[in-house]
Amino acid sequence: MDLLDLMKSSIRAPGRLVNLLTIDELKGIDVDTSGATIGALATLAEIADHPDLARMFPALALAAGHAATPQVRNVATIGGNILQRPRCWYFRMAQYPCLKKGGDTCFAMDGENKYHAIFENSLCAMVHPSNTAVALLALDAVVRTAGSGEIPIRKFFVTPDQDILRESALAEGELVTQLFIPATGARSHYLEFRERQSFDWALVSAAAAAELEGQTLNNARVVLGSVAPIPWRIDLGEIAATDEALDRAADEAVRGATPLAKNKYKVQLARTAIRRSLRELARATE
Amino acid sequence: MPDVLTTPAYRWVGHNPPRKESLEKVTGSAKYLDDLKFEGCLHGKTVRSTVPHGRIKKISFEPGVPWDEFTVVTARDIPGKNVVSLIELDQPFLADGLVRHMAEPVVLLAHPDKGMAEKAVKRVHIEYEELPAILTIEESLAGGNIQYGKDNIFKKYHIQKGDPESVWPKADVVIEGEYWTGPQEQLYIEPQGVVAVASPTGGVTVWGSMQCPFYVHKGLKPLFNLPDDRVRVIYTVTGGGFGGKEEYPTLPAGHAALLSWKAGGRPVKIVYDRMEDMWATTKRHPCKTRVKAAFTKDGKLLALKVDATMDGGAYVTLSTVVLSRGTLHAFGPYACDHVVIDTRAVFTNSPPYGAFRGFGAPQTIFPLELHLHRAACELGIEPHELRRRNLLHQGDRMATGQVMQEETGLEGLMWKAMDESKYLEKTKAYREHNRSSTRIKKGVALALFFHGAGFTGSGEVFLDSKAGLELTRDGAVRILSANTEIGQGSFTTHSQIVAEELRIPYEMVEVAVPDTAVVPNSGPTVASRTCMVVGELLRRAASDLKEVLVKSGALAGNGHTPSEFRAAAGKYLQRFGELKVYSKYKPPPDVSWDDKTYTGSAYAAYAWACYVADLEIDMATYQAQMKDFVAVQEVGRVIHPVIAAGQIEGGVAQAIGWALYEDVALKQGVMQNCQLTNYILPTTADTPPIRVFFYENPYQNGPFGAKGLGELPMDGPAPAIAAAVAFALGDRIIPRIPILPETILDAIS
Amino acid sequence: MAAAGAGRVSAEAGEAPEALGPGPVPCALSVNGREVRIEIEPRVTLLRALRHYSDYTGPKEICDRGACGGCTVLLDGKPVASCMMLALDAQGRPITTVEGLARDGKLHPVQEAFKTCDAYQCGYCTPGMLLSTVALLKENPAPSLDEIKRGLEGNLCRCAAYNHIFDAVQMAAKKMSASPAK
Repeated sequence: MDLLDLMKSSIRAPGRLVNLLTIDELKGIDVDTSGATIGALATLAEIADHPDLARMFPALALAAGHAATPQVRNVATIGGNILQRPRCWYFRMAQYPCLKKGGDTCFAMDGENKYHAIFENSLCAMVHPSNTAVALLALDAVVRTAGSGEIPIRKFFVTPDQDILRESALAEGELVTQLFIPATGARSHYLEFRERQSFDWALVSAAAAAELEGQTLNNARVVLGSVAPIPWRIDLGEIAATDEALDRAADEAVRGATPLAKNKYKVQLARTAIRRSLRELARATE
Repeated sequence: MPDVLTTPAYRWVGHNPPRKESLEKVTGSAKYLDDLKFEGCLHGKTVRSTVPHGRIKKISFEPGVPWDEFTVVTARDIPGKNVVSLIELDQPFLADGLVRHMAEPVVLLAHPDKGMAEKAVKRVHIEYEELPAILTIEESLAGGNIQYGKDNIFKKYHIQKGDPESVWPKADVVIEGEYWTGPQEQLYIEPQGVVAVASPTGGVTVWGSMQCPFYVHKGLKPLFNLPDDRVRVIYTVTGGGFGGKEEYPTLPAGHAALLSWKAGGRPVKIVYDRMEDMWATTKRHPCKTRVKAAFTKDGKLLALKVDATMDGGAYVTLSTVVLSRGTLHAFGPYACDHVVIDTRAVFTNSPPYGAFRGFGAPQTIFPLELHLHRAACELGIEPHELRRRNLLHQGDRMATGQVMQEETGLEGLMWKAMDESKYLEKTKAYREHNRSSTRIKKGVALALFFHGAGFTGSGEVFLDSKAGLELTRDGAVRILSANTEIGQGSFTTHSQIVAEELRIPYEMVEVAVPDTAVVPNSGPTVASRTCMVVGELLRRAASDLKEVLVKSGALAGNGHTPSEFRAAAGKYLQRFGELKVYSKYKPPPDVSWDDKTYTGSAYAAYAWACYVADLEIDMATYQAQMKDFVAVQEVGRVIHPVIAAGQIEGGVAQAIGWALYEDVALKQGVMQNCQLTNYILPTTADTPPIRVFFYENPYQNGPFGAKGLGELPMDGPAPAIAAAVAFALGDRIIPRIPILPETILDAIS
Repeated sequence: MAAAGAGRVSAEAGEAPEALGPGPVPCALSVNGREVRIEIEPRVTLLRALRHYSDYTGPKEICDRGACGGCTVLLDGKPVASCMMLALDAQGRPITTVEGLARDGKLHPVQEAFKTCDAYQCGYCTPGMLLSTVALLKENPAPSLDEIKRGLEGNLCRCAAYNHIFDAVQMAAKKMSASPAK
């Protein structure tokens, strides 16, 4: 779907396309005690509505359900979702030869950058647009490919410094076949802020996950979406599930932000997203 | 079903028959422009300028494209005058030598294959010598770079009543403020689209999505040097306009016709894609306003000074009249002895700003109403009470000198709105809440305003509109009017009016397709005039038609059944062949206007309203979310309460968009965020309940007492919302819209 | 399509066994219960196939990017943005457009309710709204106001007839549960 968008906007003009939709092996969702195996062609609607996923990995089901619109969720696949190209206006408009298209300028630096990155934005200020990537990273998923085999999702997304022309570690010709989420018993939650209540990319999203022990969140982590060129993971380790501790952690997590001229408010949104997503985990304990 | 405080004594007026076009619209069989197929049709595309100001040095056509398959048109191919005939004659159909804004049409292409035409646009290269551009109001007024007249000013207005300067030193309190309202994209959901067939032998015929077929007609005649009867413009079902299809369609219509003319008369279709439509077409005029007001300690408004400047863009188009309406709504429904209003529209190298629902009035009502809210906060008087103490009453004079002949009823509307919205309880409860809650702040506020219906001043006299009726072969009645159905329900309300006057069933009234070869020029479909002005022409035509039938002896004079009417019509047609009855505009007797001094009755009739906005702000995300909206208005007789309520709800929702969501990001004078994914429209989920109430005070010169209402709901929401935001933030005024989350963050940090 | 975005499969990756296009290829669609056979380039979207290569002009092209809902059709009974999928991918799957809602000259209860409640103004978004409503009521025969808003969140109406539309959905829901023939 995203590729079609890019072709319509004259950003890409591939000589040949391979239609994956006919490969049944890439479809389907399997959940057992070891975890969830999700075919790359599973649709966002299937994921959002899957009762086992909603129970075991609520962050993912919520992230899939928040994406776009019913019409899009019925067709869009999770493989396509995590591999979406940037939504940056300058990338999406053919007339701007930006870095991502092999040019030599990031037009967002001095341009309209309200939707752009507040972390890791010195070279290219794009933000990674995928909701589900944020949840998958918080859930320590593994990307299975026809090619190298398995890529831990922590190593799947690459920054502009690593490779300006792409956003993932997939090799040329390598294909995502499945996503595997290990069952760890961690609680998880996903939320996002948007400019309007539907039909919008997130301004900031957050997926939080942690194991619970009494009033303590163990192995707590929050992944922020739409704040950096990759889903932005913050590991908090062991943290008390109190408002004060979570607020402190949130403040700490955004301290290193480097907002641009028009997106300072995203720092505040990020802080709030961290706080609220973690609080939600804590609330789930009661 | 909206709340209408009246007892309709009529068979059709005040009732809610299904729309005339309802079946076509719910079955998908309505044929909008792009749904029409023409044999051998070419697809036209527009090559547009990529600099805001520059001299065209060279136009080149990249090799590798089969250019011999294309029809190519530049300014040199124009058979007549290269000028859009509107108010001034400054805008070309195609830039000739000089471009004055980004996205200005320079070259036209047509090809049988739409995809080929789309691709070829990028293969036409235009080289420019770039010239210094004016991109803001300030740069325009700074002098130095003069591109229009001697001072870059398209038009100025001055209204003076009394002498505010003498009041400032004596007043207890003088409050000043500066306000800004941003541009807004109409975003009619059907993009601009036309088909033209044109040749020296056959003349020019255009089908299109449009509000005003006769505007297009007027624009095309000089382009081809053709007389009236050789140019024909036919309306096709139109998917929304909101002003965006008032003056603009003349350009693509001219373009398609030029291509067809050069292509030997083959049909040429031009349908803009969404990005082109948002990039190149008109928007609401941005406006910067200073307001200064003097009060006594107890809130009596002693003097008011408003100074407003609108950005008109690179050509005059409708800016002078948009400015006029803005000027005449700048003083609001308040009695004040000393008022001065100064306004101007200025040139910039932006695509021309144009008509958009409200037509300048929302831009001046916003600063005034928000300023009154600010004054109430500073004076320590409740905002509704400050308004109440200054309302216009019978016998008072507006700033233009117009004497209020009767009570406006505005105070009653205000109490009704406060009642329905539980305004007083909420103000108290929200203040309490805001003291204790740091996370969610709540706000509620109101705005009072009027909207003049019909053309301004002597405009209706100059329009000299004519509308008519004819008998059909099967004994029904067909409306002959140039007024278009763009979603506002004009075909339906006009039919109700005619059915009522003729005492025949609504189903026996048809509406002729607005086609300049068939219908008379009943004026444009704009300015909240269609129901009130044209509806009255049709009512009079119906009355005359009945009289003709009675006088001929075909119809009894003392009432008839539908079948008697049918029989009478048949009898008449058999004897005389046809019956067409026309009526022409006559100004109401008590209305006069002086264009030179800008005094007199600016509008024959006003709609009055009080709106209440209720919202919450999440103090962690700074997002304002509408919770409730109450709209109480008096619009004369309500012809179709459900359609009327739909108009109010739609206008309110668009104004919510203007106030809270819709940010046109300009660069080099042109919109950057030209997609539905980055120009943020409110959706189902952002639209609060909008509760609509009508009071009826029939207007003697409107059909069955109707006034205009289409634009009214665009006026009030933005100031009410901005004031509610101020309330939520503890009387902190944000003087500019849209109020985005980052605006709120900036304001409080 | 969506997952093809995943495929950084380069043009040089070798000959595919059944390469289609770029010229026209046959495409068989099942629209409103009828077989529609057309010849299209593989790059043609379902929306353009319906509008330009056959006569189904009910679905509208408004944004052409899946962001407005104007092109909504039902595919396998579910609403999809027909502008964002290739026609070839819709082969062999039932497609319903607005033209297929009325049967034997009788309006679908959702159409009837939209007409009665004046749930449209300019009408351009109406085909998409109707189909999203039909799909919503199939999944959830008695939706709450919030569920209606969420079910229709993918359909933009600039006239903002939203409140009338919500009324119409509720009216249709009542009517359809009273006579569940449809």
